Parts: sequence; structure tokens; C-alpha cells
Amino acid sequence: MMTPVTPIGGPTPLLELSNVSKEFVVHDAGKRATLSAVNQVSLSVKPGTTMGVVGESGCGKSTLARLIVGLHGMTGGEMSFDGAPLPKSGKRPAHVVKQMQMVFQDPSSALNPRATVGESIGFPLSVQGASRKVIAERVTQVISDVGLPANYAGNYPHQLSGGQRQRVNIARALALQPKLIVLDEAVSALDKSIQAQVLNLLKDLQEEYKLTYVFISHDLNVVEYMSDEVTVMYLGQVVERSPADRLYENPQHPYSRLLLSSIPSLDPAESTRDTAMDQGSGEIPSPINPPSGCRFRTRCPFAMDVCATESPEQVHAEPGHAVACHLFEEGVPEEVRLSA
Amino acid sequence: MTIGAVGAFTARFAGNQTATALLGANKLRDDWNAAGLAVKSQSFGRETLSRFLENKLGVAASIVVVLLFLSAIFAPFLTPYDPLVGVPTDRLFNIGTPGHILGTDEQGRDMLARVLYGGRLSLLAGFIPTVVAAVVGTAIGVTAGMVRGAVGTVLMRFMDMLYAFPAILLAIAVGASLGPGLNNTIIAVTIVFVPPVARVAESATRRVVVQEFVEAAHLSGASKLRIARSQILPNVLNDIIVYASGLVGIAMLTAASLSFLGLGAAPPAPEWGYMLNSLRGSIYVAPLVVVVPGFFIFLTTVAFNLASDALREAMDSRL
Repeated sequence: MMTPVTPIGGPTPLLELSNVSKEFVVHDAGKRATLSAVNQVSLSVKPGTTMGVVGESGCGKSTLARLIVGLHGMTGGEMSFDGAPLPKSGKRPAHVVKQMQMVFQDPSSALNPRATVGESIGFPLSVQGASRKVIAERVTQVISDVGLPANYAGNYPHQLSGGQRQRVNIARALALQPKLIVLDEAVSALDKSIQAQVLNLLKDLQEEYKLTYVFISHDLNVVEYMSDEVTVMYLGQVVERSPADRLYENPQHPYSRLLLSSIPSLDPAESTRDTAMDQGSGEIPSPINPPSGCRFRTRCPFAMDVCATESPEQVHAEPGHAVACHLFEEGVPEEVRLSA
Repeated sequence: MTIGAVGAFTARFAGNQTATALLGANKLRDDWNAAGLAVKSQSFGRETLSRFLENKLGVAASIVVVLLFLSAIFAPFLTPYDPLVGVPTDRLFNIGTPGHILGTDEQGRDMLARVLYGGRLSLLAGFIPTVVAAVVGTAIGVTAGMVRGAVGTVLMRFMDMLYAFPAILLAIAVGASLGPGLNNTIIAVTIVFVPPVARVAESATRRVVVQEFVEAAHLSGASKLRIARSQILPNVLNDIIVYASGLVGIAMLTAASLSFLGLGAAPPAPEWGYMLNSLRGSIYVAPLVVVVPGFFIFLTTVAFNLASDALREAMDSRL
């Protein structure tokens, strides 16, 4: 089962990351320390699909989002967009800037409070040198695309609700007609009912404009609903990568199971209290001095001696379903399957 | 009572406002709040103005400020006397003397004329340093807040160095090294005011620069200068305007202090601080006359501060 992970068939990926790392230099109690926010992350996103990225807060999801769009430079690894490599520094060539946009998490800080909705949406266009007429047309178009009335262009963000602001954020991301949109916790700050509306809007837009999404969230249900493929991250590393339906039906990595079992259930028979998984519900360790070997071993109910010394390779548990765990290097052990 | 009567009753008592709201609600139902919001939509400036107008004290203070300005500008029309030429026999007339409402000074010059003309110099000494310091300080503060690193640190530490001196001491030092005169006073006060403005601008910039809309602007490929202009500046200007409006009073006081110490406007120019200084010897002869320039310094400073407080409140409630 020790096959290296390669994208399986299909068209060439729009976005490809291989062994991307990001370390920050921090000052911890007066000493310089490195914080490993993203470590050796590889993933590839096919055009027109949604890659979900899921994990606890602090697992490096947002750093990954920023790396992809170039708000941070990489400290290691390679990234390519549409077949062409991207510079490490995070500088993006002009044509890539137009094709890669991001929707931010906090609807209240993602819009300039002193700019009208129309100005905010038109800003990327005016930076890219579009004429006033083009900007006006495009703003009108995207405002209607995201389901807001056209006369909202003259309103200020504080006059809008959270859901409406998030629609404006999406409209701004759409303005340049990008191919890829990175959604960093794009619906996390919204009410459940509004979340559903915005998620459906995102799906409709994806279909209409053949958009590719990287959808980052801590909310497993939302990721399942949105994604074609899901990457599970733990402490900066990818622990499991799989088609969305397979991950939810048949999670492999102990951490993925912990995550999935933490979805609250109304059925007492499905309670995870006092089971093997309950041990794993501790705190996420600090990324400044991550555990050696497998970073999850400190919380893993199946931790072995090898986990402390060697970092696990990704192996295929089933076609297209990769998992980085020492348990699976010799095939999936029966007792692990049963106890989950 | 019939339903119609109830309706009429409600309409009469609820008045216009409810009727408009009901109309609004109907529109909301027709076209989800397309109409409702469009009515409310108004610019930041207009909102601030309408809130400012609700503050009676602030409005009164602004009126005083405007009157002071008008009286300084139109001084020649308000008094027949020359502020520089006195009648030696008419020295130190008391307040209320016919022909000299505010009395005369120790050289027999009409106090009203001197106060009105003096307003020109004193208001200039209050305004120019504030405006120049606001512009320079904002440029330094926004740069330091955005660039950070070595450049930002050097800029701000230099500002802190100037800030370490007591304001009046620094003004005296600068004023003394430049020599007396109103121009030099203005330069001295400007230098004193740049560091605090830069600090306000820097901290406001740091607060704004980490917000997601600034990152979104980076993503659209905008240059730093463009981001500073279109995203940062509109969001820090509030803090700076509010802070600077409070500085006008202090600038006047500092300029008056420098004049009082002989570093400001040269005699016989009618500057309020200098007038206070030259009249000081006559305090036992005509105490009320001596108080006049001090009263105008007080009035202007208080009016500016009250107006600036009202402005701060009107602007702050937005965020």
C-alpha cells in the first residue's frame, strides 16, 4: 500500500501545491523561535471542483489560504497555478492576480467602512485599470449575481446585515472574473439560516462561472456539503485527503475519526463519551515546538513507538484516498477499524 | 367602534412617522428591502453633520468660533480705531468708557480694535500649526504604521524623542533658536505638534492595516501608495481630525505663551499673548482691561475644545 500520492487521472489541476511549508519567526518568552504553521502540505485542485480544507482552529488552514493567494510567502515547497509555477515570495504576476481571489472570514472587517458597496466591489477593477463604464457595468452585474438589489451599490457596509455583507465580499471576489476563489471560513460568522443561503449562492455561482473553490472551514457539515474532495489538516500537516463522500463514510486517520465523532449527535447510542476516541479530545499542541514524528501522536489513542520517531508518509487506503498514519503502512489493522 | 374609526384614531395619534414606516414595510414586502435601505442611505458626512447638530453645546461653541473668525476678518469694519496707534492722553481707560467699550491700553490704544485685529494673528497662530502638523504628522504616522520594520521604528522613535520634551519647553527652545517673530512661533508650535499627531495616525493605521479589507486590496494588486490613499487614509482621517481640532486651542495658548515670554509676535503687533504681557504692569490700575486679551484666549480655546468634543462624538458613534 506504500504508493506515492499522485493526482488520479482527469484534467490538469488548476492549483497544485507540493510540500508547501510556512514558518514564522516568533518571539517566545524573549527567545526567537520558529512557528511551523504549515508543514509539507501537498494538494491539487482540479478546475471546476471544490477542495475542502478542514481542521481545528490553529491547524494552519488560514495560513494555507494566505499562502495560496500570496498574502504570505512560502518558506518551502512549490506552488503552481494553471500549470505555471508561482514565485515563493507571494508576489503574483498580473494575470494571476485577476484569476485568484479570496473571500474573507469576518464580514465586518472585510469591507472598508468608508467605501460604498459599489466602491468596494469596483476597487479591484479600477486597480486593474478598467474604465469607469466597464466598472459600473461589472459592479451592477456581480451585485445581481450575488442576489442583492442593484441600488445597494450606494450603501455603506454598516447599513447591511452580516449575510448581505458576505454577499458583497463574494461580489468583490467575483469582480475580476477569477478562476479560483479561496474561501477562508466564508460562512463561519453567519447564522445557520444565512449560511445555507450563502452556501447555495456559492454553489450556483460555481456552476454558472465554472469556478474552482478552495473552501476552508472548521465546520465539517458545511465542508461535506460544499466539497468534492476534502483535505484534513492537523497542526500544519495534511493527515488525510479523500473524495468528500468517502471521508465521511469511511474516515481512516485517527484524527479524522476524532473530528467526525465530535459532530454532535442526537442519538445517545452514538455518544463518543468514554470511548477510545474520547482520549483524543485534548488541546492542540503548540506549533512552536510541535511533537516529533507524527504531530498527532500526543492525542492519538493508537500511538505507537514509531510515531514519536518517524513522520508518517501518505499512503492510499483506497483509490484517491490518502492517509498519513503509521497504522496504515502495513494495511489497515482490523482492530483499529472495529474500535472506531 | 368600527374598524375604520380605529384606523382613523391610530392614524391621527401615530402621526406621520408611522404612516411612512407602514409604507416602508409594504415596500419591503414587495421587493425585499430594496426601497427601505435606499431611503436611509446617506453619506458619512451628512450623518455626522446631523448628529453634530443635535449637540446644542457643540453648536453654540461652533457659532462662537465662527463669530471669532468673522470678527477677525472684518475687524476694519467693526472698529474705527487703528490698533497700532494710540492717543497718549487716553491711557488705561476702564471698560465701558464711552467710545472705548473695552477701554484702552497703556499706550492709549483702543482695546477692542487691538483684540479684533489681534484675533487675526492669534487665530493664525492656532490654525496654521495645527493644519501643517496634521498633514506632516499624518504622512509620517501612516508611513510608519504601514511600513513598520526599521523605517517605521526609526520614524516613530524620532517622534518619541521630540515627544519626551514638555511641549512648551520644546516650543521655547525652537522659538529661541529661530528668534522672535510670529512666523517663527508658528514654526515652533508646528514642530511641537507633529509628534503627537504622528502617534495618533500611526496607532490608527496599525489598527486599520490588519483588517481584512486591506488584505483584499493587496489581493487586487494595488500598490502600497494606492492602499494608503484609498483604504487607510479614509479610515484614519477621523481620528486625526478629531485630535487636531482639539490642538487648535492648545496651539493658540502655546503661541500666546511664547509671545508673553517675548518670543512671539514683535511689538507693537496686537497678539493676544503679547498684549497680556505688556498690560501685566497695569493690573492694579485697570484690572478689567488687563483681563480682556486673556478672556479672548480663554473663550477661543474653550469654544474650540467644546466644538472638537462634539465633533468627536458625532464621528465616533459611527464605528
